[in-house]
Amino acid sequence: MAFSECLSQASLADCLQRFFATAPVDPAGMAQSLWLIIALPLAGAVVNGVFGKALGRSNTNLIACAAVAGSFLLSVLAFWTLNDPQAVLSSAYRRDPIPYAIGEDFGTWFAAGTFRAGFGLDVDHLSATMLLVVTGVSLLIHIYSTSYMGHDEGYWRYFAYLNLFVAMMLILVMADNLVLLFVGWEGVGLCSYLLIGFWYDDSAKAWAGRKAFVVNRIGDFGFLVGMMLLVLWVGALELQSRGTVAQPSADPWRVALLRSGPLNFRGLEEASRRIAPETSQITGAIPLDATIAQGPLAGFSFGSVLTAILLLFLLGAAGKSAQLPLYVWLPDAMAGPTPVSALIHAATMVTAGVYLFSRVSYLLVLSPTAMAAVALVGALTALWTALIAFAQNDIKKVLAYSTISQLGFMFMAVGLGIFWAAILHLVTHAFFKACLFLGAGSVMHGNAEETDIKKLGGLRKEMPWTWATFLIASIAISGFLIPLSGFFSKDAILHGVHSSALKGYAWVSPTVWEIGLVSAFCTAFYIGRLYLLTFEGKRAPDARVPHAHEADWVMRLPLVILAALSVLGIFYGIPLIHTSAGWETVMENFLSPVFVTARQLTRLFGTVKVEHEGSLLAAWAETWVIALAGGGLAGFLYLKYFPSPHRAPLPAERTVLHWARHKFYVDELYELLIVKPVRLASFVLYKVVDTLLIDTIAVRGTAWVTARLGSLLRYLQTGDTQSYAAVMVLALLGWAAYALFQVLR
Amino acid sequence: MVPIQHYLWLAAVLFCTGMFGVLVRRNALVVFMCIELMLNAANLTFLAFARQRADNLGHVSAFFVIAVAAAEAAIGLAIVIAVFRSRGTLNIDEIRTMKH
Amino acid sequence: MSAEVLLFWAFAFSTVLGATFVVAARSAMNCAMALVATFFFLAGIYVLLWAHTIAVLQVLVYAGAIMVLFLFVIMLLSLTETGLPRVALSFSRVVGAAATLGLLALLVLSIGRTRTENVPWSAAHQASFGTIRTLGQILYTQYLLPFEAVSLLLLVAIVGAVVVAKPRI
Repeated sequence: MAFSECLSQASLADCLQRFFATAPVDPAGMAQSLWLIIALPLAGAVVNGVFGKALGRSNTNLIACAAVAGSFLLSVLAFWTLNDPQAVLSSAYRRDPIPYAIGEDFGTWFAAGTFRAGFGLDVDHLSATMLLVVTGVSLLIHIYSTSYMGHDEGYWRYFAYLNLFVAMMLILVMADNLVLLFVGWEGVGLCSYLLIGFWYDDSAKAWAGRKAFVVNRIGDFGFLVGMMLLVLWVGALELQSRGTVAQPSADPWRVALLRSGPLNFRGLEEASRRIAPETSQITGAIPLDATIAQGPLAGFSFGSVLTAILLLFLLGAAGKSAQLPLYVWLPDAMAGPTPVSALIHAATMVTAGVYLFSRVSYLLVLSPTAMAAVALVGALTALWTALIAFAQNDIKKVLAYSTISQLGFMFMAVGLGIFWAAILHLVTHAFFKACLFLGAGSVMHGNAEETDIKKLGGLRKEMPWTWATFLIASIAISGFLIPLSGFFSKDAILHGVHSSALKGYAWVSPTVWEIGLVSAFCTAFYIGRLYLLTFEGKRAPDARVPHAHEADWVMRLPLVILAALSVLGIFYGIPLIHTSAGWETVMENFLSPVFVTARQLTRLFGTVKVEHEGSLLAAWAETWVIALAGGGLAGFLYLKYFPSPHRAPLPAERTVLHWARHKFYVDELYELLIVKPVRLASFVLYKVVDTLLIDTIAVRGTAWVTARLGSLLRYLQTGDTQSYAAVMVLALLGWAAYALFQVLR
Repeated sequence: MVPIQHYLWLAAVLFCTGMFGVLVRRNALVVFMCIELMLNAANLTFLAFARQRADNLGHVSAFFVIAVAAAEAAIGLAIVIAVFRSRGTLNIDEIRTMKH
Repeated sequence: MSAEVLLFWAFAFSTVLGATFVVAARSAMNCAMALVATFFFLAGIYVLLWAHTIAVLQVLVYAGAIMVLFLFVIMLLSLTETGLPRVALSFSRVVGAAATLGLLALLVLSIGRTRTENVPWSAAHQASFGTIRTLGQILYTQYLLPFEAVSLLLLVAIVGAVVVAKPRI
């Protein structure tokens, strides 16, 4: 019913709720238009790429921004539609439809033997959240870029790549199966390479792009192998569970497996439902520790293979989301334009790993080992990179390490089964990190591209808008003094980690929690350092320009919007909704339909138990104190201690600083252990195999032999009849000998 | 009775003698004559086997060989004359137009 | 030692001697005369093989016509190269000579393994064997086509010889 009619009958709150819970368009129609969300940026990329130079700067800007704006509007519509209880998805893998999801299946993409890969879009609350983040933040960054890249010659290339990136990320987020997700995965990796090395004339920048691509590739390799193992695993599961069901041919899961393949997410969800806890009997289900009877995986148990698969996925996610040991590409990726860093390396691409694990949450909770690994990787990365960020002087590098550290937090949450907290932190992080990066871009723009914070300072008065938004975003990320969105999302993670315990790995959660607390302290410290050195204090004597100038309104607008979102994000993180399970945050409630299966399996298998859940307020207070301590220490050191003239640096401090500034020499270690041997191997292969064996011996050698043979045979052409006759006699002799020999036998 | 083998051996010796001459002599006419020698050796072989098998077919073959040898000699000698006229020499070593 | 054996050895020895002279003689004329002698002795051997017709044809055609033609040509192209050495050593010649010797050895070996006995024949057969009547009968009935073909061949040879040897047509 119409909104105005409703007002006369019920309260405003109820009417608002009903308004937002009714889809503005028919859900079926929305499902069929989902592909437009991807098609618009893709078309924009093609048009800008091919005709951009001819169309001119303003037209290119318009096309790029309009394409992403269109996607954003459609994403909003989709998001709205999903709130309607009538929005259901009928998946071929299940009998009953799935609520709060819409999607469309375009059929089989390719088939190879009995393997099928489908092609379809599947949008539920998780995808919708990602959609809004991706398209929204992209739109703001596109607008920002029109001004930031206003003097660059390759603007058409830039916007084409940027639109392409958005399209690929949307494919990743909306895919309904792992293969299509991998297409988007690879696509964003490609666009990241193209955009990092955007200024390819500078070979250092081009190399940074290459480094990103190669490191990503290592992760992708793990991902691919994991996918293949998963195919085999599902096949083995289907085969072995056939005997426990009365009528296998009537099971929609099995039928759909044959038609659409094993890697569909709904199919995998169904498959996870067919796993039972160890030594238990449930009809139609196989125990987790059952041994696989036939096929290439025979001899291993389902649980161990699944753990292996998830560890391989972890490798892939570590590559894409820059976790240990594959994080080394992200700091170097700061060679690209700053809006690129904001979009790709803060808000969207690097969150793909977290998204992946959230998508297959139902598989992850079946393997406590994999969860422990994920959590530990996240925790160690968070601490390691936070320590490196202490001593970096490049403003973008600090933010890069900060991104890696925050991603570590998200992995921590994922590893302990608190998926909604990871997604919440993902969203808030997108806002404040993009704001920080764009602010850094504004600072660079106003200071003649200066990135060394030691050469900045005192920008508070000269760049007020940038200062204000940067300050808000810094408070958001660190949680210093005023709890903004970042405070609540980080605390959700820490509180959740503290009160969860993994089965069989009880030592993991306290360890991760303590590392998380230390990392939160470090976050507050280095962000405080960054802010103070850039904006407070006196202007550095060796600054490039005497006075900085503020950015124009095109660049200021996204900063303001993002800062506002960093504040408004509070409402997603506060327990506002009362359900039967107690007070829930909005985000947790919103995402609950997505993680239904994961929750059920966690309860059934006892993977994660909630223990000693303390009071939420006490947790908040604890985190607030830590953030205050970190920020306070930064303030003391950089406002009072370091600038004071009576201070002499301690040798211990010098050593620590030296190590941190050089990123603990990780890059050099990789260079020694991996890059040099690979280069040596490829040099050997090049010189020995390619140049010597193939070129010289096989190719030129054959030609040489033929030429020599020819010049030898030339001597037979004497023109002398008698020599020809001699040859004939020789042949005759040979033949006669042969005949005699045959006869004699 | 002379065993057929003796005739065959004689033919073999004649054949090889003729072949030796073909391969070694430099005068074109002498080479030609050695070819005739080889043909006669073949004839002898035919006739020897005809005698052995009491079959007249060998005689027919020998008849044809003689006829063909006559034709070949006529043409061949005409060619030798033509070559001598154009080159002025019968030395095979100096007639090397087939060399590349 | 019957007359046949004696005659055979005499003729055989002479034939081989003549053949050797053909190969070894210095001037072409000497070679030609040696060849004529070889043909005569061969004819004798043919007679020993009961190939009377062929023997006569050998003398008539080979020794009488072909060798005469050879002699004409030799005398026509009055040879001025008598001063040349007979054989110049070259690689192909050595190879050829070696191959010939090899072939000779091979042939001798193979011939040593053939059957020695003759097929027995009747007296009537013996009387008609190798006669011109028998030969004519076979030629004009079974092998008429090759016979006519050979005559055509001879026609071609005549025309060809005239065409090739004439200085101007």
